[in-house]
Amino acid sequence: MAKSLGIFVTNPNNMKHIVGVTKAAVAKGSNVKVFFTWWGTKLTQDPEFPALCAMDNVDVSICADSYKKAGFDVEVVPEGLTKDKMATQAQHGAIIEDFDCYMTL
Amino acid sequence: MKILNVYRSAPDDTTKKLAEIVSEGREATSFDLNVDSPDYSKLVDMVFDADQTICWW
Amino acid sequence: MSKKAFFMTRNADYSVDAMRSTLGLAVENMYSFNAVVDIEIPELDEHNKENLDWIRDMEGEVYSNVDANVEKNGMTKASLEEIGQKLRDIEIIVPYGPI
Repeated sequence: MAKSLGIFVTNPNNMKHIVGVTKAAVAKGSNVKVFFTWWGTKLTQDPEFPALCAMDNVDVSICADSYKKAGFDVEVVPEGLTKDKMATQAQHGAIIEDFDCYMTL
Repeated sequence: MKILNVYRSAPDDTTKKLAEIVSEGREATSFDLNVDSPDYSKLVDMVFDADQTICWW
Repeated sequence: MSKKAFFMTRNADYSVDAMRSTLGLAVENMYSFNAVVDIEIPELDEHNKENLDWIRDMEGEVYSNVDANVEKNGMTKASLEEIGQKLRDIEIIVPYGPI
């Protein structure tokens, strides 16, 4: 059984790495959780974001407060997400508590 | 304890110093993400094998 | 047993939010620390000063190796070497944002 992986995203320049690592981990049978915070939430506008959200065994959520502070309207749910995935920093806690491995990108 | 130091950009003196202190006396490996085509499969294997992964700036 | 997390920023556009993430883990019952490294950040507003105090109330700390952040924002002085030594005792190390 592959280990699970949590990814905490704080850097808006790392979409290539987020997608690359997530695909590689899923290909090994891993469950992956990705949480975007602060300027990382800009990546909700990246063309690759919906496909990341749609991947099997991948859970994507964002910090709604960061999303708002980054200038986005919290009533507009980014393509690929659902309203319940517009969440809080508790998602980061869940990555640390519930997943075997941790990365920040 | 196995530590994996992942470098998202070329490590400068501050990053090098922090990584050196954290890694001292421990089994440490590193992976450079700051290349054109990182081997993500290899990186994931290294993350799974490590006790702690630190993704430096 | 509660885990320990340590956030570090080297970009002033990210420092305040990293403090918010630090507090976010503290309220999740983790020991949560923060350091502003090598950069001077503007004076914190009242809300973020309260966040800093709250981090301390939750047995965390906000360090900086820059004197201006200590004088202006009440952060606790720690040299780069001292920050590195503190990291050795931490399970979740978060170099936050870009440089």
